[in-house]
Amino acid sequence: MTHSVDNPLHHPEVEQASFAGYLANFVITVVVMTAALWVVGDKSLSTLGFIGWTTLFAVVAVLVQAYFLLHMNWSKAQVWHTVAMLMFIPLFVVMIGLTAWMFHGLYERTMIAMPPHTMAAPMKRAAPAQAVPPVSQPVPAPKAM
Amino acid sequence: MFVHLQGPWNPVWGRLSLQAIPYHNPILVGTFLFAVVIALAAVGAVLYFRAGPYLWREWLTTVDHKKIGVMYCLLGLVMLFRGFADALMIRTQQAIAVGPHSPGYLGALHGYLTPFHIGQVYTAHGLIMVVFAATPLLVGIMNIIVPLQIGARDMAYPYLNALGFWLTAAAAGLVMLSLFVGNFAHGGWYGFLPYFELPYSPGVGVDYWMWAFQLSAVGTTLGSINLIATIVKMRAPGMTWMRMPIFTWASLSTNLIALTSFPVLMVSLALLGLDRYFGTHFYTAGNGGNLMLYNDLFWVWGHPEVYFLILPAFGMMSEIIPTFSEKTLFGYTTMVVASFAIGGVSWGVWLHHFFTMAAEPSVNSFYSVTTMLVGIPTGVKVFNWIFTMYRGRVRFELPMMWAVLALFLLLVGGMSGMMNAFAANDYMWHNGVFVVAHFHMMVLLIAASIFGAVEYWFPKIFGFKLEQRWGKWFFWFMVLGTAWVFVPMFILGFTGMTRRLDYVPYTQWAPYLRVMLVGMAFYVIALVFFFAHLYVSLRDRVKNRVGADPWGTSRNLEWMTHSPVPAYNFAYIPHVHARDEWAWRKENGVASLANESFEDIHMPRNTGVPVLLGALSFVLCFGLIWRIWWLSAASLALVVLVIIVRSFARNTDEVITAKTVAGVEGAVDDALPSAARG
Amino acid sequence: MSSTTDTRIQPGSTVLWDKGDAAGHDILGTRTFGFWLYMLTDAMVYAAFFAAFGVLAHNAGLNSKSVLAAVFNAQGAYRETIALFASVLAYGYAMVALKKGSRSGVAVGTVVALVLGLVFLGMVSGDMERLFGQGIVPQSNGFLSIVFTLIIYHALHIIVGAIWMLVMLAQMGRDGFTSNVVYRLINLRIFWHFQAVIWVFIFVFVYLQGKVI
Ligand code: HEM
Ligand SMILES: [Cu+2]
Repeated sequence: MTHSVDNPLHHPEVEQASFAGYLANFVITVVVMTAALWVVGDKSLSTLGFIGWTTLFAVVAVLVQAYFLLHMNWSKAQVWHTVAMLMFIPLFVVMIGLTAWMFHGLYERTMIAMPPHTMAAPMKRAAPAQAVPPVSQPVPAPKAM
Repeated sequence: MFVHLQGPWNPVWGRLSLQAIPYHNPILVGTFLFAVVIALAAVGAVLYFRAGPYLWREWLTTVDHKKIGVMYCLLGLVMLFRGFADALMIRTQQAIAVGPHSPGYLGALHGYLTPFHIGQVYTAHGLIMVVFAATPLLVGIMNIIVPLQIGARDMAYPYLNALGFWLTAAAAGLVMLSLFVGNFAHGGWYGFLPYFELPYSPGVGVDYWMWAFQLSAVGTTLGSINLIATIVKMRAPGMTWMRMPIFTWASLSTNLIALTSFPVLMVSLALLGLDRYFGTHFYTAGNGGNLMLYNDLFWVWGHPEVYFLILPAFGMMSEIIPTFSEKTLFGYTTMVVASFAIGGVSWGVWLHHFFTMAAEPSVNSFYSVTTMLVGIPTGVKVFNWIFTMYRGRVRFELPMMWAVLALFLLLVGGMSGMMNAFAANDYMWHNGVFVVAHFHMMVLLIAASIFGAVEYWFPKIFGFKLEQRWGKWFFWFMVLGTAWVFVPMFILGFTGMTRRLDYVPYTQWAPYLRVMLVGMAFYVIALVFFFAHLYVSLRDRVKNRVGADPWGTSRNLEWMTHSPVPAYNFAYIPHVHARDEWAWRKENGVASLANESFEDIHMPRNTGVPVLLGALSFVLCFGLIWRIWWLSAASLALVVLVIIVRSFARNTDEVITAKTVAGVEGAVDDALPSAARG
Repeated sequence: MSSTTDTRIQPGSTVLWDKGDAAGHDILGTRTFGFWLYMLTDAMVYAAFFAAFGVLAHNAGLNSKSVLAAVFNAQGAYRETIALFASVLAYGYAMVALKKGSRSGVAVGTVVALVLGLVFLGMVSGDMERLFGQGIVPQSNGFLSIVFTLIIYHALHIIVGAIWMLVMLAQMGRDGFTSNVVYRLINLRIFWHFQAVIWVFIFVFVYLQGKVI
């Protein structure tokens, strides 16, 4: 068991702060995000290439942030934070991935294909305060039983 | 911004009006009178014994994990009775309303409950049993036992612990309130889209269901954070991971499930809330919504949730069986691995709750296989328990009887679960009563483990044993009831009966439904025995007083302090040398409790803030349900304010002086004979 | 009855009970660990939102190209990104000042982070206003529902963080660096920095990749 240090400012979680690290994080993530934005304007990329590059930039940014900002490492102070994170990541992947997989097939099997961008004209609607949501005529509320 | 409501609404009362009170329904009026009598009796007793200040000081404001645990269990017990009353109504309705010539009473065409009413009963029964009975009972027991088993003086966050409890209690209160003000959802406990959308369910029932569910989810998530942090950070010196008692392992794995899956439940409900309050299109049938998205998100939580319920039950069995086999647990390591394997696999099987969605064959096959995989670690556990008993000196005392019953139920439930796991089978009986029988075997297994655990740990918490005679009657009538209700239900499932019927069209099912009613009678008798069990135990409490180790063959740290456990748990923190530390000490002849030269102990101070926050959340949700916007806004603002103000508090701790500790320690006699072993 | 250990009793040297208060547990570390677990549950909320995004994106075609172009305003989102990252950097500066025990340093860092956070919020709400003004609202269809929900849920976090910063400034002013204040400052760091991580996902997978949906 770790024991408390009398002065909280000497706690390892305070001491791990590093301006060089935070600055490096800032610079790298800004560069990577700028690159991602730049890719948006690149007309020569295929859709797949575009998705691949932007995803790659996102992954780089997040890894850098995990290291510098969230201090994901194996030091005594952070090890359980890291373990907890590592437990969650596969679950994120499982949930999003399996959901995407099953709905992809489902749409193919149950829906008439909807070619993108051909369906509706932009919905004409006033300011949101008056926006009446397009619910169909609700049945009148039943009396309390 | 908000959706336009059909029907009356005014800024002061929202949708609330006198019509919301169901005074023309004799069943509800009767229930109301019953509740009033109970409430008056309770309030009267509190006033008569002047127990108010005591209750406030020692219970309502407590941050002691044991007391919070006891309150969780009491809440679970009360809700268990409520859920049982619902079950009684369901079974009697289905026994009467069979065939076109069946009689109708109280305004119902058949039976005595209108479809609208029995729909609410089904919904309430399911939600209450899963979320407000089983969960609080399990969480309560974990709350009490885990800190003791790891040699801690309290949870990592005692204040948060109390908050989690009061949020759960507020949620249960909402469900109860829906009986007398408004109504409850009537489309099944797990929600049914797009039927639960505002246009099709315009009343407040779905809102009650949604907010109660949501609030309890918040409470359970907070609780899981607390238990995990406690186990990771608060273990006594020497307690390495592989020396941790198996129930603590089970609690860890189960709370990891809760931690990871409950947020998804919150999302699935919150998106429904956005649909109902703001008119978005997450689950609507048109406008780009997708109603299967609800099922997807809900069961991403829903399946891990069932393992959240069963893993602590497994942990209880793993504590009870070694104690009453007088042997160490067989296959400790595999038991730990199996718990985590179950927890992990439970995250990849959720589609088996909607095989019929029409996903691709490859998808259904995938989920069939993952579902069946769960059987492997579960089988490992079953064999471990059997090998623990093998060549042990097995004593069939009450806790052990419950644990063995749980084993049998696990067999039936697990096997029927495997049958569900075949997508092709499931296409035939999905939403039928075969499925209902399956999961009731599982849930009754959990109930059996809980009863066993209560028998087992009760003396630790209260300092006296429960008597055994009435307890055995109670046990056997529970067995009888279970057999008579669920064997016919399996048969009905095979003959194709669907679930949640308010009217049963086929008269050839009538005999089975009548047999089930007999089973319910057994359950009712069991309930009587349960009260006799409680009454006699309380009456004879002095006679049944026990010392630190009432069963004589217990093995873990929780038995290394007095019964009942003092507020500070351990006068000294135990230093751990072995798995089954207490058994190790007994073997080595060092099994006495520390009792000299005590020290001051720092403990958190009681606080009324959690109960206040619970009450405010209750009001907040009530306002949202009835769309009384000012009330919700005001209580939300107060919640924020209270949290901020509390964060400025300085004196949140207090000291139990060495003198007080010495006084407490000097007053107990740990050498009391254990009642069972004479 | 046999126990599972090879540890043997060493008469005289085996410690059975530990004296000293259990308050010796690492309180600060326990606090931040619990908060980190909470933060991960929040990440799970976002993950569920993204799963919903994946499902509802199948129906993105209900919106015309011009609506989608208005929603996925990459330039605007990029400016928001810079503001948020700068705010995170400023709070990082506060954390370095905390290490040195400098109250004024922490205060300055926090105030700058707060201001930049408000700048971010201003940009997001400006964007929302622009869209709502064109009749592009969450109620339009399922796809826009989830897009707006993601963005607004993130913005709500920024509001909470801003309030939290004000509270911490007050507590630091009153109490200095007590262990309560310190662990809350660290939790706030976890919270604030986490928002930047989440934002990367929103920026890339919603704003940028929205182009090809
Ligand atoms: C060996 C392990 C298990 C397997 C293979 C299994 C399999 C299944 C399957 C395939 C279904 C869906 C049936 C349908 O809706 O058509 C189901 C439903 C269900 N199971 Fe299990 N199960 C197992 C263990 C459990 C456990 C441990 C619990 C509870 C603690 C449980 C509770 C439930 C519940 C509550 C439902 C139905 C929920 C509802 O539709 O209302 N199951 N099970
Ligand atoms: Cu399941």
